[in-house]
Amino acid sequence: MSFDPADPAFRRRRPGPRLSRRDVLRGGLWLGVGIGAAPILSACGGSGTSVEGGKAPYPLARPDKPVTLPLKDSNPPIDDGLDPETGGTFQILNYDQYMAPGVMKDFGDQHGVQVQVTPYSNYDEMLAKIRTPGESFDLVFPGPSVLSKMVYTELIQPMNHSYVPNLKNVWPEFQDPWYDREARYTVPYTIYGTGVFYRADRVTSIPDNGYDLMWDEAYAGKVYLLDDLQEAIGMSLLRNGISTDINTSNAADVQEATDSLIDLIDLVNVKTDVSAYSEVPEGTATIHQCWSGDPIAGQYYLPKGETTDVLAYWRPDDISEYVIGSDNIAIPKSASKPVLSHLMINDLLDNQIGLRNFGWNGYQPPLTKLSAQYLIDQGYIPENLMNAVVRREDLDSGLTFYETEPSTEALWRQNWARFKAGG
Amino acid sequence: MTRTDVATRVEAESPPAKRRVPPWRNPWRRPYVLWTITWLYILWSLVPVLIAVQFSFNDGRSRSTWQGFSTQWYCCAEGSIGEDPSLLLALKNSLILGAATVLVATPLGVALAMGLTRWRSRSSRVANGIALVPLVTPEIVLGSALYLVMVNLYQFVPLGRPAMLLGHVTFSVSYVLVIVRSRLLSIGGDYEEAARDLGASPMQAIRTVLIPLLMPSIFASAMIVFATSLDDFVVSQFLFGDASNITVPIKLYNAVRASPTPALNALATLLLVGSFLALILAFVGLRTRRRGRGTRSALEDLADYG
Amino acid sequence: MAKPDIRHDRATRRLWPALALPGTFWLIALFLVPFYAVMAVAFSGSINIFGEPNPAWNPLDWQFATFRQVFTDSVTGPYQEVWIRTGIYSVCALLICTAVGYPVAYYTARLAGKRRGLVLALILAPWWINYITRMLAWVNLLQDDGYVNKVIGIFGFAPVSWLSGSSFTVVMALAYGYLPYFIIPLFASLDRIDPRLLEASRDLGMSPVRTFLRVTLPLSKMGLITALVITALPMAGDYYTNTIVSGSPKTNMVGNQIELFLLQGPLKNYGAALVLLLSLVLMFFMAYYLILTQRAARDAQ
Repeated sequence: MSFDPADPAFRRRRPGPRLSRRDVLRGGLWLGVGIGAAPILSACGGSGTSVEGGKAPYPLARPDKPVTLPLKDSNPPIDDGLDPETGGTFQILNYDQYMAPGVMKDFGDQHGVQVQVTPYSNYDEMLAKIRTPGESFDLVFPGPSVLSKMVYTELIQPMNHSYVPNLKNVWPEFQDPWYDREARYTVPYTIYGTGVFYRADRVTSIPDNGYDLMWDEAYAGKVYLLDDLQEAIGMSLLRNGISTDINTSNAADVQEATDSLIDLIDLVNVKTDVSAYSEVPEGTATIHQCWSGDPIAGQYYLPKGETTDVLAYWRPDDISEYVIGSDNIAIPKSASKPVLSHLMINDLLDNQIGLRNFGWNGYQPPLTKLSAQYLIDQGYIPENLMNAVVRREDLDSGLTFYETEPSTEALWRQNWARFKAGG
Repeated sequence: MTRTDVATRVEAESPPAKRRVPPWRNPWRRPYVLWTITWLYILWSLVPVLIAVQFSFNDGRSRSTWQGFSTQWYCCAEGSIGEDPSLLLALKNSLILGAATVLVATPLGVALAMGLTRWRSRSSRVANGIALVPLVTPEIVLGSALYLVMVNLYQFVPLGRPAMLLGHVTFSVSYVLVIVRSRLLSIGGDYEEAARDLGASPMQAIRTVLIPLLMPSIFASAMIVFATSLDDFVVSQFLFGDASNITVPIKLYNAVRASPTPALNALATLLLVGSFLALILAFVGLRTRRRGRGTRSALEDLADYG
Repeated sequence: MAKPDIRHDRATRRLWPALALPGTFWLIALFLVPFYAVMAVAFSGSINIFGEPNPAWNPLDWQFATFRQVFTDSVTGPYQEVWIRTGIYSVCALLICTAVGYPVAYYTARLAGKRRGLVLALILAPWWINYITRMLAWVNLLQDDGYVNKVIGIFGFAPVSWLSGSSFTVVMALAYGYLPYFIIPLFASLDRIDPRLLEASRDLGMSPVRTFLRVTLPLSKMGLITALVITALPMAGDYYTNTIVSGSPKTNMVGNQIELFLLQGPLKNYGAALVLLLSLVLMFFMAYYLILTQRAARDAQ
């Protein structure tokens, strides 16, 4: 081993790292690059408009203050008389198991496309998916509580009614609804109420307020809430008599309602999901907060040998406490097959196909011909589940969820996160 | 006293001591306890999966009560693999993504391993540290970070196959790095130096000497990358976008919480079969390669080259 | 000995960094930058119409209110339970892993004899079986009318509801899921112990127990620590195991909260803040592991 400093072999054996000038320069260069990159990143990265003071920059729709959603030049409807697209995938953004597979398959065969469903459990998930850059969905099913927002941010496109003549089949209230005057952006898909789906063979007695069933320790481990923050907290507001305004922005009320839900965690080991239609018939759940279509669809999930007598649905007797909702069909602006979207909407509003869809998912489409009596006469609804049918009279006096100010939404979401954290 | 007298007396007084060592102090006894524990563990580990495979052939909707044998969940009951195209699509997506990840991550990782092992400087130590961190990062951290960056910054990368591929390669590169590097360290630099002394350029030395020597570990890392990619759930769930990119783990996870049928078990069985087939293919491939090379050592290769 | 060829050396010196560069840039772009994106979202100062945070790319724009709130909520608020629960589940699952995994690894490495290949293959097999599949298998077994309840019914016990928010189920599921990943590094390090050391200690009259305590355990310490770290870190961020076998908010882990915030709602800044907090907590262990591996690599060189 040579000890001559001029010998490269010696240099390579020098022990330990030393901070040389080059290292300092290099480090400084990287630091500078990093600092300089930040403004560049901010320029090319996504940055939306900020919402000041938590108020929505558009009018919020109410039943007594109906809203005509604006048509914008930057978001025009498609032209008349276009040919339907063919080939590829027709991507539907929807709740899981919410459209009959037969209906989707027939549509796909008829037009030569592969129909797929991307599922979500609640509107927050839906919004996250539809806003993903680069994603394209051809149909989406929003409710009134997110509609104005989606129009304002141009997530959905207005409809061209020349492709949807079947709109005349729909209940008149829905041809010109309060949340979308002139049905510019949406048509109705289903209407439903919120109640409790339970096993008649396991529940010994029904209290006056059926929601109390969920707080009953006798059913511990088999109690479920809907995985929807509006429905769950709203139900708690009503059950505990905290407020009859299920869209309240009162922080104390929302907090109290959530605290009551949090009690459920320890009391009955409550869980949340949107699968009442399969869990109650299969026995996994004894008490499940549900939408009124779930019991009707539940008939088809019963294991062999069980009759529909074991299923039962509770709803408030007082119509002014019955929460009614509706889901609508809209066409996302990112749709790659908008003509097909219109055609499928037209199909879903057809009486025959609508009936077929109802027969599968249990949720009533608000079509004039398919009245509650008609459905009962046709045998779709067993005796013990007749209260699950929504009648036109229910619409007028029921409660419904509206779209609220962003600050109210934030309040509800934070409380929901508290509940989901287990208290 | 004669010697024989002593011997006789010793024998008479102390019979050959066959001391019985109690079993727990006998160092040479059979390891009964450990043997039991190990086989019990293997049973505990594998039997549930075998039962799940069994239920994929259940005649009925239940996944917990055996109702008879039937292949209806493969074809053609409603909701079975034959009838529900989303199930086969998930399988296809998983396999394609796995193969693509191997094709991208393996060269990247091998190059990284070679570069980091031989490059002696502070930058290499930093790069080395960075490359090892994905191994110990919880998947949810990696998945969240990738999701947030794809949605907010890399918006030109659509969620779905492209984003999932990028994500899978990111955590796979570290596996390749660790496996290949340990082999590189044990090989040492002698073979390459010999090649270079014989006149090869550095790239030629790598191509003809180093890579063949590394082949076993490259294969091993490719198999591990494939297995990990097939198995991945979190990164895929954050990055999949819409239904056409759902992989088998995501499909199973969503369905378990919704309305599961034995069709899920059937899908899981198919994935199992697919991954074991890939494993067997890889082994066969490795065997034939080795046989082709026969018993030639790297030095003999060098001799040929010279 | 020939003089080192200068041109040779320079070419070689340029080659290695060139080889390492693609991989390094990949990791920078897809690992370091995403981490910066997490910080940008966590420290965002404004929200858009959907309630989602606008990422703050410039560090000068960073607001720490969200992070401060998440931190306080974690220390004294509703998330405190979640963190503690995550810690307890991880520790219990790791204890089970060690109790089961160490004997199995030891047997396979040292005592399997002729059957070693078979045992090793059977132990490695779960790595090739999808994690979700393995959990699905247990969900089938733990149903109310599943085999587990049938078996305990034979012994006269009433059927137990295993899948409704039972901490026991979650801990056992975590242990079941992560054992294969735990055993492998342990096996590798036990395998490397020179058998002559063990034979020597036996010849010197040490009982198997003392041999184990005095010889095997210290030599396998590195492997055990590696196994623990490699298993503990992913386990701390696990959320899908809990969702599959429990689904109740009562057994929520930190990962569930993060998933809730990031994938099921617009409050992504809370999710990002939780991710940062989780990383900080785990960073201690991550750093320890990295130092150990660097030291081991340097020793090997």
